[in-house]
Amino acid sequence: MKALLRCALAAIALSLATQPAAALATHTTSVRDEGSLHFLSDEATLIVDEGPLSGTLPGRGRVYFTYNGSPNVTARFTIRADGGNVYGAAKCRLNNPNSPTPSFRGALVIVGGSGRYAHARGSGELFGVFHRRGYGLVVQAIGRLRY
Amino acid sequence: MIGPRVQRLFAGSGTALRKRLRALGRAARCAALALVAALAAAPAQATQLTSISAGFSPLRLGSPTALSLGFDVRTPDGSLPSALTGISFHYPADLGIGTSGLGLATCAPAKLSFAGPQACPTNSIMGRGSALAKFQVSPEVSEETASIALVAGPPQHGYLKLLISATGSYPVQARIVMSTLLLPGQLQISVPLVPGLPEGPDVAVVRVKATIGGNLTYYERAHGKRVPYRPQGILLPKRCPRGGFHFHANFSFLDGSHTRSQTVVRCPRG
Repeated sequence: MKALLRCALAAIALSLATQPAAALATHTTSVRDEGSLHFLSDEATLIVDEGPLSGTLPGRGRVYFTYNGSPNVTARFTIRADGGNVYGAAKCRLNNPNSPTPSFRGALVIVGGSGRYAHARGSGELFGVFHRRGYGLVVQAIGRLRY
Repeated sequence: MIGPRVQRLFAGSGTALRKRLRALGRAARCAALALVAALAAAPAQATQLTSISAGFSPLRLGSPTALSLGFDVRTPDGSLPSALTGISFHYPADLGIGTSGLGLATCAPAKLSFAGPQACPTNSIMGRGSALAKFQVSPEVSEETASIALVAGPPQHGYLKLLISATGSYPVQARIVMSTLLLPGQLQISVPLVPGLPEGPDVAVVRVKATIGGNLTYYERAHGKRVPYRPQGILLPKRCPRGGFHFHANFSFLDGSHTRSQTVVRCPRG
């Protein structure tokens, strides 16, 4: 009886090991999204912008951009795409702070999502331009997304 | 009651007692010398009294505002204070100076120094103010007011640079330009010495009041035209920090003394 049980367990383990990982994250795609976002609200050093995004994941984007005078700026973002949301964050370096439109660039990470992107992970680069006059942002995200 | 050490000192013959007293005298002289040396090496006591002021106009949370900063220097007996050599001003780091939209152009320090703020791009002017300086014209103390301009300079290491020009016209025509990086929550300013009359002490800055933002006019191009607008100003957070907005400043003077002053802008009611 014990031998039979061991045999059954081994068979189950073998079947699990050889089963394709269909239930796990299987899609990996290159993403290139960009958009001009308009000012939504602010909280002193935090600027919130939103607008349409075009590219691999078309939809709407919302960016929480923090600039306290240091050239090290941060951007948390949400991409609301068809089928779910993608959440990410980026740490960037701002150049030409006295320019009316300083640019920034840095590494981004995808930290999660919802819907079909519930298990989204990824990394890449975020490029952008900050309009100091009207607080608009032009952003471009390039990276790899797994979901 | 005589302690054991004193009992030991007075024990024995008269000659031994004299020797011990001489030894004690030498020790006392050494201790006195050491004390004098220590006092000479210690930092000079503050001979200046300082106070700072800060304010927002308007004081409305979540709104753009102008930030006014000022300081006063005086002496307890009303004499001429020592010349100011440096100020480190600390303000709340969550004030939106970076997002203020002020300083959209830059002015070269040499241009500002040579020709004054009127020679700088309009969009580089970040604020204005005034200063009062005193200098010795024996035996009298004379004073001069100077106009202050806060101007955006070329950025350094990615930080906004603030140039501060002080221009006096009477009785002495002079302009000094200082620069500081707009670090989050901090302004560190080195103040150059301005010589007074020959053989006299350096000019002492005794009062400064300056406003970042406020009544400024900037220009932008729209539909091919140069259109004036009023820059937004510093963004105040929507929530007031616990106990209000805290400011403090450390002052350094030529005589080696240092002072520290602080002030708080109370949270608005409602």
